[in-house]
Amino acid sequence: MNKLVLLSIEDEREVRDALLRDLKPFADAFRIESAEDIPEAEEVIAECEAEGDTLALLLCDHVLPGEDGIDFLIRYHQDHPEKGTRKILVTGQAGHDATIQAVNQGRLHYYISKPWTETELQDVVREELTEYVIEQDLDPLPYIQSLNGPKLLEHLSR
Amino acid sequence: MSSAISFSAKKQLPLALAFLALIIPMMVDIPGLEPAGQRVFGIFLMAIILWVSEAIPLHATAALIIFLQILLVSDKALFALPESFTAPKYSVFYAALANPTIMLFLGGFFLADGAAKFNLDRNLARVLLKPFGKSPSMIVLGIMLITALLSMFMSNTATTATMMAFILPVIAGLPAGDKLKISLALCVPFAANIGGIGTPVGTPPNAIALGAISEQGLQISFLQWMGLALPFALIVLLAAWQLLLRLFPSSQKEIDLNIQSTFDTSKPAMLFYVTAGLTVLLWLTEPLHGMKSSIVGFLPVVLLLATKVFGVKELQGIQWHVLWLVAGGIALGKGVSTSGLDAWLIGLVKWGAIPAILLAFTLALLALVMSTVISNSATANLLIPIGISLASSGAVDIPVLQAAFFIAVGASLAMALPISTPPNAIAYSTGAIETKHMVLAGSIVGAVGVLLFVFVAPQVWSLLHLIP
Repeated sequence: MNKLVLLSIEDEREVRDALLRDLKPFADAFRIESAEDIPEAEEVIAECEAEGDTLALLLCDHVLPGEDGIDFLIRYHQDHPEKGTRKILVTGQAGHDATIQAVNQGRLHYYISKPWTETELQDVVREELTEYVIEQDLDPLPYIQSLNGPKLLEHLSR
Repeated sequence: MSSAISFSAKKQLPLALAFLALIIPMMVDIPGLEPAGQRVFGIFLMAIILWVSEAIPLHATAALIIFLQILLVSDKALFALPESFTAPKYSVFYAALANPTIMLFLGGFFLADGAAKFNLDRNLARVLLKPFGKSPSMIVLGIMLITALLSMFMSNTATTATMMAFILPVIAGLPAGDKLKISLALCVPFAANIGGIGTPVGTPPNAIALGAISEQGLQISFLQWMGLALPFALIVLLAAWQLLLRLFPSSQKEIDLNIQSTFDTSKPAMLFYVTAGLTVLLWLTEPLHGMKSSIVGFLPVVLLLATKVFGVKELQGIQWHVLWLVAGGIALGKGVSTSGLDAWLIGLVKWGAIPAILLAFTLALLALVMSTVISNSATANLLIPIGISLASSGAVDIPVLQAAFFIAVGASLAMALPISTPPNAIAYSTGAIETKHMVLAGSIVGAVGVLLFVFVAPQVWSLLHLIP
């Protein structure tokens, strides 16, 4: 079955593990992937798409070896505006200007500042994915339990 | 996307079978069946395979049936039919798409979509649920009555989604293992399925039955249908309520169902309320003014479009595919009855030996079983032409009305599996129930409903002179 993919891009191993741990509640309904830099992320995305899965959500750190997170988010948005992928910046180090640029040019959906709390991260991911399912007009039933069920059902009834 | 045109291997087999089912009856000589009948037989067999397998969308099969009947058995048929056969005009098959029953249903869709657009369903639910208090058993009853009421006019699926959205937070707040979760999750789809029986516009199988009945020259008014269906639907609903409470009792003293909504008092909303009220009023008072429900059904279409309460967007948002699916069934029935296939099918069995009541039961049970695994509308589309053929042939002493009615009701009462109906799928998706809960409660409700409608309802109808 085709799955929706959550991809977190984070170079520090402990932080990456923490992210994956907090994303566990979504593991039943979604495919969860991680990458340590942009080239690896692009490989993962290509691999997922080759297997028929779709990138629904990017959780991206800003300061990465090589290309910056914000630069990548902007590039990804401009290359694939039709995909509707939800983009979340998870960072403590992005400057004011870079963040504004990410919002304006990359259509950033959410900014989570490090350190995040488990509930905050899960709430944001849940709402962003709910929006994604509604915007892409997907069958909401597989996601009633892991996402915002009432909101998805309300959409279904309209 | 490539998936739009490529058929997976799983779909290829039914497609091939459907093609064979279509052409083989035309190639071989079937004793007692005229060429036109053979062609419709092929179309019918193909329809069975396509509607059961869903190798192509249900509405696509409906369109295909109309097209094939025009190509094969109309006065414009590509391959000549014997002169002795008076072929129906090709426009007769197209006419199924605008059959009066379809127009009645279109009116129903306008009301349902308007109710959703202006949140009338939620507001009604909020107001009507208040008197039921906070005890779990009364709340479940209230939810079931309101869900049934809404689904008499709105689609069972939309009603379930609306009500379930209110219930999910309650379910989430209950302690793990509380069986109230199960009765809350099951009561909504069950009530929606049962409520759909209540009016002609409640669910597509009703429209298919009504369309087939009127093809036989019988007219059933909105009110008559409600008189036949609603009291017994209500009994089944109450039985389902008691069943759920007993199978899955609550450990809670009280629960709080919080519905947030306010009445929309904008001008378009007010115009909609007036239109909807007027339409329902006219539907219920046909004996006073004599305007057929299918004509009244076009009133909200005209009023809402003229007042721009509904624009192009809303008109395009109508579930046309459901209407086309119903039309496919009406066209198939037309083909069966004009091609001589009906007489041949009936002639296959020595009906005289079978009591009419047993036959009525068989039809309803068959509809129940079939629509437990395939779509309710597809079930009605396939079975109603057969039921009507049986009844109108005179071979069996079963009224046309009852044959079609029992099949429609049987199809609506199928709720034993998550795949049985979209409302069941929604309930299952909440994770609050397991399949076995649905199988247990759903089979009992279905069986009780079929027994009640087939064996008790006709007695009461004739006592009260409700049957025309």
